[in-house]
Amino acid sequence: MTDGDAALLEELRDMWTTYDPPPPDLVATMIAAVAAAELDDEWEMLVLMRDSADGPVAQVRGLGTSRILYFTAAEGWSLDAELDEGQVRGQLLDLDGDMGAVEIVVETSHGQTWETTLDDYGFFAISAEPTGSLRFTVRRDGHSATSRWVEL
Amino acid sequence: MGTMVTMSEDRRAEGQLDQSPWDMASGAFIAWRSGEPGAMDELVSAMTPVLWHVVRAYGHDRQSAEDVVQATWLAFVRSHQTIKDPQAVASWLITSARRGAAAHARTARRALPVEDESLHAALPDTESAEALAVLGDERSRLWGAVASVDERCRKLLRVVAFMDRPDYQSLSKDLDMPVGSIGPTRARCLAKVRTALAKGGER
Repeated sequence: MTDGDAALLEELRDMWTTYDPPPPDLVATMIAAVAAAELDDEWEMLVLMRDSADGPVAQVRGLGTSRILYFTAAEGWSLDAELDEGQVRGQLLDLDGDMGAVEIVVETSHGQTWETTLDDYGFFAISAEPTGSLRFTVRRDGHSATSRWVEL
Repeated sequence: MGTMVTMSEDRRAEGQLDQSPWDMASGAFIAWRSGEPGAMDELVSAMTPVLWHVVRAYGHDRQSAEDVVQATWLAFVRSHQTIKDPQAVASWLITSARRGAAAHARTARRALPVEDESLHAALPDTESAEALAVLGDERSRLWGAVASVDERCRKLLRVVAFMDRPDYQSLSKDLDMPVGSIGPTRARCLAKVRTALAKGGER
């Protein structure tokens, strides 16, 4: 590379650095993302795939007040949950292993927590009327998967 | 956390403040591998801005660029063991970010009209446009000149500008150019920028 080219390339680098800088919080966000990923290899994300609140009106009609949430985990299993009239019910699907050893935790952003275990078929039911935002955690032999907060 | 601060100050005290981000990255990565957990933060701080520019070279909007940068770091956490030469950590990250950006561009192209995409690449964001107005002449002329050259040149120049030692082998694969033509193409692209600058000056 000629000196002139190297100098122009450096000017360009300065230009991009000045005019199109990363968002001010990007470094902090990435440090947090790496820390979270590193901290606990066992931790994984329960991903919200379907939410009846997002669905077409026709689907919601007839279900009355209930809210249906469907999550999947990278390992392949999924969690189907229904919130209705003071109850949080659901089923864990396609999980290999002992259903009885699985704990389901429901938390709200207000700090309330409910815990229960699954029956042999993977069903659970909790008497709870969560408000605000809620998230699910599925725990089993040292692994845990947590969803993001879902607004109710 | 305390460790990290101490380490940074130590390195600074050694007069390495002017280190390039690529050198800082390999230093931090070596320190982290030898058991200093805080050095990871240094690595992320040094390389995140570099990755940002590499990804933005592909014309992604700011939100998508952020997503690609984050995916790059998560891929790094998963596969850092495969990096044999710690000196090469910056190249590894840049290559991974380029691949992610290119893959994301392929997906986005299906969803976005072409004009939008080239517009993203050509125009500064609103906030940067303000910076443009404040900082005025010299660099805004340069910005205009760069915006006027073709997209391929713009992409090549921005990626190369933020690479340590341009890795022609992998660049050639990603940009679909023969290895031998990258050096000459870069020179031609820089010449185009110079021409555009000169034209702008005559106006």
